Amino acid sequence: MNVTLRALNRFGLGARQGERQRISDARGWLKAQLEAGAPTLRATESTSPTAIADAVRALRMPGQRDEQERREARRRLVELAASEARAALDVRVTSDRPFVERLVTFWSNHLCVSSGAKILVAPLAGSYERDVIRPHVLGRFEDMVLASAKHPAMLAYLDNFQSIGPSSPGARAGQRNNGAKRGLNENYARELLELHTLGVNGGYAQQDVQELARILTGWTIAGIPGPGARIQPRPNTRGRGVVRQARPQQDGPLGFAFQEFLHEPGEKTVLKQRYKEAGAAEGERAIRALCGHPSTAKFVATKLATHFISDDPSPAAVDRLARAFRSSEGDLKAVALAIVDEPDAWREDARKFRTPQDWFVAVLRAFGSMEVNPNAPVVLRQLRQPLWAPPSPKGFGDTMQEWADPDSLLNRGELARTISRLPSVAAVDPRSLVDVVDVPAGNPLHTLIADASIPARERVALAIAGPAFQWR
Amino acid sequence: MTMNRRDFVRNMCYGGIATWALPRVSFAQVGQTGRLVFVLLRGGFDGLAAVVPYGDPSYRALRGTFAFSESELTPLDETFGLAPGLSPLRPLWDANELAVLHAMAIPHRTRSHFDGQAILETGLDHPVGSSDGWLNRLLQVMSGRRAGIAIAAGMPLSLTGAFEVESWSPTKLGVVDDAFLERLAVLYRSDAALQGRFEAALQQQNLVGEEPMSGGNARRGGITPLMQAAARILRQEQGPNIAAMEFSGWDTHANQGMAGGALDRLLGQLAEGLVTFRTEMGPAWQTTSVVVMTEFGRTARPNGTRGTDHGTAGAGFILGPRLSRAHVIADWPGLAEGALYEGRDLKPTLDTRAALKTVLAGTFDLTASQLERVFPNSAGAGAIAKLMA
Repeated sequence: MNVTLRALNRFGLGARQGERQRISDARGWLKAQLEAGAPTLRATESTSPTAIADAVRALRMPGQRDEQERREARRRLVELAASEARAALDVRVTSDRPFVERLVTFWSNHLCVSSGAKILVAPLAGSYERDVIRPHVLGRFEDMVLASAKHPAMLAYLDNFQSIGPSSPGARAGQRNNGAKRGLNENYARELLELHTLGVNGGYAQQDVQELARILTGWTIAGIPGPGARIQPRPNTRGRGVVRQARPQQDGPLGFAFQEFLHEPGEKTVLKQRYKEAGAAEGERAIRALCGHPSTAKFVATKLATHFISDDPSPAAVDRLARAFRSSEGDLKAVALAIVDEPDAWREDARKFRTPQDWFVAVLRAFGSMEVNPNAPVVLRQLRQPLWAPPSPKGFGDTMQEWADPDSLLNRGELARTISRLPSVAAVDPRSLVDVVDVPAGNPLHTLIADASIPARERVALAIAGPAFQWR
Repeated sequence: MTMNRRDFVRNMCYGGIATWALPRVSFAQVGQTGRLVFVLLRGGFDGLAAVVPYGDPSYRALRGTFAFSESELTPLDETFGLAPGLSPLRPLWDANELAVLHAMAIPHRTRSHFDGQAILETGLDHPVGSSDGWLNRLLQVMSGRRAGIAIAAGMPLSLTGAFEVESWSPTKLGVVDDAFLERLAVLYRSDAALQGRFEAALQQQNLVGEEPMSGGNARRGGITPLMQAAARILRQEQGPNIAAMEFSGWDTHANQGMAGGALDRLLGQLAEGLVTFRTEMGPAWQTTSVVVMTEFGRTARPNGTRGTDHGTAGAGFILGPRLSRAHVIADWPGLAEGALYEGRDLKPTLDTRAALKTVLAGTFDLTASQLERVFPNSAGAGAIAKLMA
């Protein structure tokens, strides 16, 4: 096994030509990437907060527009989503900190939102990765989860923005006004426990889900009409000195709004911890507590180990990562360092099958691409791993069993042949592709790549479709 | 030596080139006790427009301009008739190979596609984001030889889980010639973990074939060509015996139409696909059960855009010779104003899991405890008596 290639492919997003010769200390190269601060990505004009807010409002209030305006809004939404996808993929393909970019993809999938489940997420998903994941990917886990909980993409995706405390003033007023039943939506609270923090066997009960959902009532999206839009809140007569915000603003950028009149009043208990009535602070405290729970360290460590070590990591390796998570209080940079130092991640026999996104990005990096083709999002969809559109809140699977099915291998072969026919690939030397993945001496790939009787483009296709390129 | 794809694959898989081993992963030797195809109609198909309760006294007033007249329908009994598009299913009804399920719903009340499909596909009574699919659990708990396959563009949640399954889809991402596939196969032979999988893919390609199919080549999509491809894979003695399929386009919020309209044409494709599947299966049809379900029914009344919105109970179908006879299974709640669920939807009186458990018990040799593991906490959804032979 070549240690440098392991660093480039396993930890990074795929070796570029000549890169293996330039790196002398594989672990040092990885650790240095963690020192340059958060991997921020700036929004462009087409992905500005205003553009996003317009697109979301167009989806949310279609009735207020005529056909022409609706068509125009639709066009802008497609353009926005395409810009976001290209920006996110471009940085994966061109980054000089590919380990950090892999961490971005990992956490983005761990706390995933999906435009496949809700169209409202489509204009928000790029901003979610940019504003929730990237700033915290080398910061603290609880800050990332909290940012996720407050981002409009997550509030919309898992319905929390529609959840209303059953005894809140908003629920009572709503019932009086139009008779419609309003109440709790447990979706986000459940996934927060099951998928983001403690894990499904992390030691919580249905009662905890409900209580957590109550705590998180009133957490809504600023800038669009929410569930309280048609409710007229009564003047605050209880004299607590709080002027309630009647309804969120419906212009300006989107954001987080706590609406007290939709919040379930009273004390709540989650995982035997009592939370006194404290408005939005209740939820912040509860989320920080969940992030610090021992089950969370174990659950997150298991997922990291599965991603960086093997589909079936040893309990000892999981324990080591969990300990790094706990002792650093969820400092994700410290955890990343522990992954680099994890001996199992460097074992010869530990292989990880590349997911479609991994494979596609690795191909482009091997080719030395400077940007992704505008068709890339379509290709990822055809490969069954569309960007920011996993099939469920669990995110995309991370094991061979989920991706190495027969049909997918054949699809990669077909796509490799299509890619090899692109004009831009004419410049790719097939021999350079044997250099970016670990191909043992005596492997038939060496013979095929050197066989000048096979057209060069077909040899390119064979290199990226062959089994050696499917692993990292 | 030049070979066409079929020759190449045949040689590869059956030893014409002696060093090529038989595939290891796929086509585990399946002794055929039974075969099951689960067809999911994604989007929530309108059960009241498919299996029409023309005999219900409230039907005409409730559906208004959407109401079919009796003469347009294939009558099943005094209450229900099949929509015009489903008339190709008549021969199956006459042959006692069709059961209609009505007023059926998943055990969890939701009008979200996402949650509804998740509940139907995980087989649970509440949403669990990390659950396996029930077809995968079926494969896990069954004894003896079995293999699952997704015949779909993507792995449906129903088949996802710890048990390794195969896949085939009509997706074509590029044109490849045999020389390329042959060289790729040589490369895959050097990888013990992937070799069997790649060969299985070539073998499935071979089974589906490249000869013209009715309604066009399977690679072009559409219900009938896919059902035909499914039959060619499933009828193999040593092939997979549990399959998941899915078709979308049933979310008819606007302009769903009447006889010959958008929904009816789609129903026509579904019926034609099912009839084609039955024919293509040949003798293997005798051991096969097909279940057709959707995540929820639609509103009892039309909406303001000549369509219907997300509702609750709806209809489904079971097809196959393992049925005891032709049935309409419906504890019919009626369409009277007060009988509707929340004043708007057909009220559920049958749990999807009860129907699925009944089909499983009639198709495979399963114990009660195995069934309970496939559908946990489903004791309340008891089997339907006398449905299966």
